Amino acid sequence: MPRSCSFLYTLSLTLLSLILLSGTGLSLEFKPYGRGDFDQVAQLRENRPRIIHYWSVTCPACIAELGQWTKFINEHRDIDIIFINTDDDEDRERAAARLEKNGLSRATHYGFSDSFVEKLYYEVDKSWRGELPFTVLISTNGPRVNVTGALDDPHFVAWLNQLNGVKK
Amino acid sequence: MTYWRLFLFTLLATISIARAQEAAQPSVNGGESLNKPAMAKHAPPACSDPKPDCAMTIYPAFDKKGLLWVAYSVGKTLYVASSQDQAKTFSVPTTIITLSDGIIDAHGDARPKIIPLNDNSLLVSYTTRPDKMMIGTIFTAKSSDNGKKFSTPQPMLTSGGQRFDSYVVTPKGRIFAGWLDKTHAAQAKAEGKEFAGSGVAFAWSDDGGMTFKGKNILMDHACECCRMSAALGRDGLPVFAWRQIFEGEIRDHYAAKLSANGVKLIGGRVSNDDWAINSCPHQGPALAVDTKGAWHIAWFTKGKNRQGLFYAFSRDEGKTFSTPEKIGDDAHAPAFATLLATKKGLYRAWKEFDGAQTVIPIQKSNDGGKSWSAPEILASTTEASDHPILVSSKGDVFLSWGTHKEGYRLIPLRLAKK
Repeated sequence: MPRSCSFLYTLSLTLLSLILLSGTGLSLEFKPYGRGDFDQVAQLRENRPRIIHYWSVTCPACIAELGQWTKFINEHRDIDIIFINTDDDEDRERAAARLEKNGLSRATHYGFSDSFVEKLYYEVDKSWRGELPFTVLISTNGPRVNVTGALDDPHFVAWLNQLNGVKK
Repeated sequence: MTYWRLFLFTLLATISIARAQEAAQPSVNGGESLNKPAMAKHAPPACSDPKPDCAMTIYPAFDKKGLLWVAYSVGKTLYVASSQDQAKTFSVPTTIITLSDGIIDAHGDARPKIIPLNDNSLLVSYTTRPDKMMIGTIFTAKSSDNGKKFSTPQPMLTSGGQRFDSYVVTPKGRIFAGWLDKTHAAQAKAEGKEFAGSGVAFAWSDDGGMTFKGKNILMDHACECCRMSAALGRDGLPVFAWRQIFEGEIRDHYAAKLSANGVKLIGGRVSNDDWAINSCPHQGPALAVDTKGAWHIAWFTKGKNRQGLFYAFSRDEGKTFSTPEKIGDDAHAPAFATLLATKKGLYRAWKEFDGAQTVIPIQKSNDGGKSWSAPEILASTTEASDHPILVSSKGDVFLSWGTHKEGYRLIPLRLAKK
């Protein structure tokens, strides 16, 4: 086998391997989220509305609605959406698998990297004890809204309606 | 030439697959503006040694001789250790198991447990969650040589999925177990039906925890993400409390006694908080039964009718409960209550956080829960901490509390008043 052919053969095999290995989708990165980080995560970009969604793999209600979040993102491209996984490192791989399965690999993800969870909750809402799903809704059209419950929670729906109403 | 064709084909295939994968994912806004490098990386847990100080959750229990036992996990290994000097020093820990697949459920409400038995043997329980599954399996292991060795852990059930086990040992030595069970939920899912929460399942052992009999789901639709609590009734039968999903996704509480033949639950709804929510509160109730047989329950709710941490008692075995009484300072998010009944009185402690410091206030009642002493702060920390647990030995009351900064502490209760 000529040397150039051998090189191309090897390169082709490498690329084929890459194709097979990439079958699970794009890699998912959880940025670390700890004490003091909420204020920065909550900052609006160019006054675009922002949703910060806290979830865990030990929360069946959270997992059940991940697919709905995929749909929601596609239908609300004018809203910046941030996902924050509240599990510790041991469960992060499981969390990544859930997100990938629901087509959320390309979303912005943070993961709790600070075990002082009371402080993390307190920085978001002084009355939050860790119940999930927990979602923070921010826009320039009104006060910040904190919602315990799923996407169909009346407070969430009301915030969205207000957002759409103002835009109309 | 053939190699060039193969190369070009492969290159094009790679590009198309990468694009297809990108297209399959929804494009999400919001990430670009975040300047994550400005945020600090946070330190990992303080230590990884096999000692209680390094555990995220610790479960304490005294045996008849007054020896303190603790069950805890560090990483994927479960340990048991004992202390003769109220947690100042511990024995060399005994390893129960090191998992090769999955994790030990030891976070928040979930934790391994140790149960000292009447014949001086020990029973350990823990729940595993395998890597590729969401549901867990409860395992138990037994030691008959004072914790030096434990038997090979045995699963409580081999299918269905379980979590949040709790145990009661009767004076005659029968061990009652209660847990949340996903069997009916899995069956419903397989049939394409909706099913809220988990079943509430029970079993008992008459051979010191070697085998459990009468495994049965007696009630459906418990909230699957909150612990169950258990206590021994005055008649020698176990009482259990858990968060139940009532009609309309209302996640309030239920308490019940298991009948002598283990096939019936006798009890009732603790309160009508009306917390209609499709969520995981991650906070189950606390339960104690006093020397007169009254049931005492503390719980957390954000219902329409009340929000916060509450307490109530029942003097008719769950038929009726007292009007819920608020516990703690609402401004400091009171949570994770623990209750203890001894011959000396009734105790309740919980966690509060003011934005900088976590404290454990405690109160005592000498009249069966009608009135309580003023809260006294028993311990505090300015870093991460486990849930508090009240535990007693020979009439003395202790707070068992693991904190990231101070390590594991067993704090004797010396109340200023009452």
